[in-house]
Amino acid sequence: MNKKKKNILLLLLALACLAGAGAFYAYKEFNRKAEDLSSAKAAYQVTAVELIDAFTGNEAGGNAKYLSQVIEISGTLKKTDQDEKGNKILVLGDTTSMSSVRCSLDSLYGKAGVFEQGSLVKIKGICTGFMADDLGIGSDVILTRCIPVKQ
Amino acid sequence: MKKLFILITLFGLLGSAQAQNRFFTKTGKISFDATTPKSPENIDAVNKNSTCVLDSKTGDIQFSVLMKGFEFDRALMMEHFNENYAESDKFPKTIYKGIIVNNAAVNYSKDGSYPAKVKGKLTMHGETRDLETEGTLTIKNGKVAVSAIFPALLSDYRIGIPQLVADKVAKTAKITVDCTLEPLTK
Repeated sequence: MNKKKKNILLLLLALACLAGAGAFYAYKEFNRKAEDLSSAKAAYQVTAVELIDAFTGNEAGGNAKYLSQVIEISGTLKKTDQDEKGNKILVLGDTTSMSSVRCSLDSLYGKAGVFEQGSLVKIKGICTGFMADDLGIGSDVILTRCIPVKQ
Repeated sequence: MKKLFILITLFGLLGSAQAQNRFFTKTGKISFDATTPKSPENIDAVNKNSTCVLDSKTGDIQFSVLMKGFEFDRALMMEHFNENYAESDKFPKTIYKGIIVNNAAVNYSKDGSYPAKVKGKLTMHGETRDLETEGTLTIKNGKVAVSAIFPALLSDYRIGIPQLVADKVAKTAKITVDCTLEPLTK
């Protein structure tokens, strides 16, 4: 009798632990933030011009290969834009072309760092797609949550 | 030869005149909100890499936004949005093409705030629907600030909401546009 009671108690304890672990996991998952890319491994390493070429004329092909992927990209810094919160957007590509790769820096890194126009920069980010040039303002590949890669 | 020269100059002039009519941005802010009073949390996200182009002469206006570029507070919500609702791999882009109906009443060379009525088509999740709304154009120092709220009935765009969360996700998403356009100079 005593042994049976003990068993039931143990079983209840195990169940409580499981429920607790489940709740903890659900809570963590619910509150999970987007990961910081500094430790993420790049799926592709390409130059800005190569990346633009991959999308130009074959947007679906570019999307199939690069969409949502972490990409390490190198290229000449054409200019630096800013969003309203002061986070930097680095525009890479061939300076003679209207097309570029636009990399918005992760807000963790967005304000820091000096980037010299015309210099070669290396950046890691997630590809969110391609804005085809149907309006005469140049086409762009967009990368978000970018961080500079130390060379 | 002379005719050709005149023609080229004319085209050149036309081109430059056209360029001056156009305003654009590549860092426009477009956010959406599908929160209901019963939502346990805010269902909203913002995209800061939206493109907007406006032709001040014709009143043509276009917004484009990449679905994967929407940033959420919670990574899980972002994954659900991309995988289950927007299906961003299949439909990476949302585009609104419209025209400012009362464009003639807007003086783009004079600072001020003008109410604007837009009429056009929204293409989202592979579906195109007529959509119109009212917003504001604010002209300041040669720049045009565009702000408007577009109500998009999600079922119109075949974006299904599972029965289980039917009262926790708004049936009509509020798409808020907040862009500052600069003159296009080439």
